[in-house]
Amino acid sequence: MLNQLKARFGSGLAIGIVGMIAIWLIALVIMPQLLMVDYSFRPNLLPADIGGPKDTYSLVNYETLFSNQIHLKIFFKTIWSSVLVTALTLIVSYPIAFYLAKVATPQKAALCLLLLIIPFWINEILRTFSWYIILAYKGPLNAALLGLGLIDRPIRFLSGDGGVLIGMVYAYILFMIFPIYNAIESLDTNQIKAARNLGAGWIRTHWRVIIPHAKPGIATGCIMTFMLAAGSYAVPALLGSPGSRWFTQIIYNWFFEGGNWNQGAAYAFLLLVICIGFIALVMRVFKVGLGDIAR
Amino acid sequence: MDSSVHLDNVVMQFGDFTAIQKSDLKIESGEFFSFLGPSGCGKTTILNMISGFLDPTEGCVKIGGQDMAGVPANKRPTSMIFQNLALFPLMTVAENIEFGLEVRGVSKSERKKASDRLLELVALEGSGHKKVSELSGGQKQRIAIARALAVEPQVLLLDEPLSALDLKLRQHMRTELKEIQRKTGITFIYITHDQGEALTMSDRVAVMSAGRIQQVADPITLYRDPKTAFVASFVGENNAIQGKVERIDSGIAEIHCGELGVLKGRVQSSVAVGEEATLFIRPEHFRLQAEEGMLSIAVEIEEVNFEGAYLTLSTSTAAASKQNLTIQLGAHQYNDDLAKGKALSLSYNVSDAIVIGGDSNA
Ligand SMILES: Nc1ncnc2c1ncn2[C@@H]1O[C@H](COP(=O)(O)OP(=O)(O)OP(=O)(O)O)[C@@H](O)[C@H]1O
Ligand SMILES: [Mg+2]
Repeated sequence: MLNQLKARFGSGLAIGIVGMIAIWLIALVIMPQLLMVDYSFRPNLLPADIGGPKDTYSLVNYETLFSNQIHLKIFFKTIWSSVLVTALTLIVSYPIAFYLAKVATPQKAALCLLLLIIPFWINEILRTFSWYIILAYKGPLNAALLGLGLIDRPIRFLSGDGGVLIGMVYAYILFMIFPIYNAIESLDTNQIKAARNLGAGWIRTHWRVIIPHAKPGIATGCIMTFMLAAGSYAVPALLGSPGSRWFTQIIYNWFFEGGNWNQGAAYAFLLLVICIGFIALVMRVFKVGLGDIAR
Repeated sequence: MDSSVHLDNVVMQFGDFTAIQKSDLKIESGEFFSFLGPSGCGKTTILNMISGFLDPTEGCVKIGGQDMAGVPANKRPTSMIFQNLALFPLMTVAENIEFGLEVRGVSKSERKKASDRLLELVALEGSGHKKVSELSGGQKQRIAIARALAVEPQVLLLDEPLSALDLKLRQHMRTELKEIQRKTGITFIYITHDQGEALTMSDRVAVMSAGRIQQVADPITLYRDPKTAFVASFVGENNAIQGKVERIDSGIAEIHCGELGVLKGRVQSSVAVGEEATLFIRPEHFRLQAEEGMLSIAVEIEEVNFEGAYLTLSTSTAAASKQNLTIQLGAHQYNDDLAKGKALSLSYNVSDAIVIGGDSNA
């Protein structure tokens, strides 16, 4: 790469560009992460004690999570809920992606994509807050359901995990739709016709022809949605109730309320490990490689 | 079993664009029937209507006498070989062939038997475990045929299946297809823009142009007695000479062709005295020596092309209109005299020339 850049920009500028990228990567991405990992293995000490005899490496910060039943429960609930969010988002997104890629005329597909994207020009907090309004106890959704006579008492959407799940599916749906849409789009329509022509019903056509082809897209969408959900802070903070706290909120508390960066770092690192494990699992299940996903 | 296909006054429109003009056509059970026409004339559209991917705007498609309206593509007794084959790349060769049987709930052992039998039919025994990407073009072709035959269709639809192959393989596959059709006895509906393919394989051919079926006939009739100017110039080579009809007498029209004088030919269709008409003479029907009852045209050689078994001469008339005529001669007629600039008198039998009403460019 350096040689290509040299040929194009001359060696001075080339070294400058590569150097800047290197500095950016090292100073802003790698170093802080390593620092966090380093923090996570050290105790939380007064500034005076840092570097002193008490400053030794240990697994104490990690053990805290396993000895704190409440935190452990929230940790697993966060993972489980993120899996649920991913599954729900997939179920909602696949038909939309298929419709956009293979059913809609190009004009309609373009219009629909635009309509899907426009709400995402508004920032996440505002979008999430609008769900807070919609789902409120005296909000429009309850009013509509009451008006239609479908329920006779308003539902407390925001008291359990329901609000968080809905909010997250909405917040991350594009990250699922786009990879799947791209994958299905690249499938030769004659493949679908061939399956139909050989007698396959719609379910089998999807199961045997379309989904296998779209697998890398589905895997990418699932990984992104899971990572975003597991690492989400705004949605659970706004739509969650005290009973549906997210692990990120615990991490936040350690850092900014508990003032215990070392403890927070250990928690954050554990979440990262679980996320990487999830990626590996998804890739195993879908039998796709890193190359397929990056495509 | 009746596996005839009837296009009962079908029309296909996409928006305001009419892709298929009103057509009524009956394809017999067990027939090898071809649609021949230039790119974009609506051939694939016709197959899509028969296989159920498109619903005709008007009229209906009947297979085996049964109206197919409302019968979805996966419930029709048709099977299609796609223009680009559309084999499933993520399945093995055997899985591809067995797919249609898997759909029908056939047991694994029965499916295996069927795919082995079909692989044998297409001369690819033992390739069942291979990936589709490991096959050559011709092999893919044959797997597509096997996959389509596996579901035992009443009607096999073939959309230019040989267009991607090289000449040798194409000729080989032609004989194989014909052979498979003979063995299975099912109705083949074959689409092509290659007239050689259509003429050699088919029982009957429908020639299409711009969404209209121009003529339906067996290959020899199509070649000898084209009914429209389009068919006359699209099927085989033809020389077209414009003129005005002067007289029609017992099936022979005399047409006045400007400086070439009066020429004659068999009346083919819609010819009326006093109107424009076109005289068609095939290159192989010209003779260098006039015989009893022949008509002659004086020309000058412009180019001589030796093509192995035969020889084509491009000539033009001496008259100011410079009418171009192409002649085909047997290679044995070649001699050094036939060179650019030589004057010739081209003769033809009146019965070999045909006259079709209207302007040939229309
Ligand atoms: N879904 C569609 N919507 C609009 N127009 C279409 C559609 N399908 C086909 N057409 C038009 O109908 C005409 C006939 O198309 P068709 O695919 O049947 O041609 P074809 O004879 O098979 O050509 P080729 O030999 O190139 O495959 C073309 O002008 C095409 O643009
Ligand atoms: Mg076509």
